[in-house]
Amino acid sequence: MGWPEGMATSLTILFFSTARGAVGRPEIRYRLPEDGLSVPELLERLCRRYPRLRPILPSSRLVRNGTPLRRRAGRVAAGDEFAIHPPYSGG
Amino acid sequence: MNGVSVRIQKGALSIPRAYRELASEGQGGIVLFLGRVRADRGRDGPVEALEYEAHRGPAEAKLEELAKAARRRFGVREVVLWHRVGVLAVGEASVLVGAGAPHRSEAFAAVSWLITRLKERAPIWKAEIYHRPIRARARRRTS
Repeated sequence: MGWPEGMATSLTILFFSTARGAVGRPEIRYRLPEDGLSVPELLERLCRRYPRLRPILPSSRLVRNGTPLRRRAGRVAAGDEFAIHPPYSGG
Repeated sequence: MNGVSVRIQKGALSIPRAYRELASEGQGGIVLFLGRVRADRGRDGPVEALEYEAHRGPAEAKLEELAKAARRRFGVREVVLWHRVGVLAVGEASVLVGAGAPHRSEAFAAVSWLITRLKERAPIWKAEIYHRPIRARARRRTS
């Protein structure tokens, strides 16, 4: 699978805590394919590219443009910013 | 302030400043809670420091939401909710939660509720940094 980067039809994915450790960087840009992408497809592509992310995702929150997603469904839009939030540990 | 002060900050937490934020004339009770990095033993040895990170925008929004909820729920008039990010050594304060109310019981209840909710719901993380002897670090670099 290619992992093309670009601005015009791209989205940003932010990784925090253990998710950042699994991916090895805090942020990636991902260029959307021409026929678009669903949220589950995006997550599956991420897990294939970064296998250490797979066990982290079930317990993580998925945040889209600053708002937690209640369901991991729907289409991804160009310009979206997703964030992977593993369980919180502030304080 | 508008009854609520929230911050994600790198610098040290100022207790006098928090007190000034909370101490308007109507407040008969002010409660301040400080969470600190404690000397602890983790899975890789003694903890030297904790590194905190936050997803800043959503974290600030969540702190504000919690602070406003505490005002409604407990009737406190002023709330301070400040959290640090970056590397904090053992003994440094990582979080300050404060509430001012006409009477102490509301302020105590609000602060206890706020620190519990903050830990559960604010997108903030910590990672342990372990003390390693210099010889161990050198071995790791050359291996």
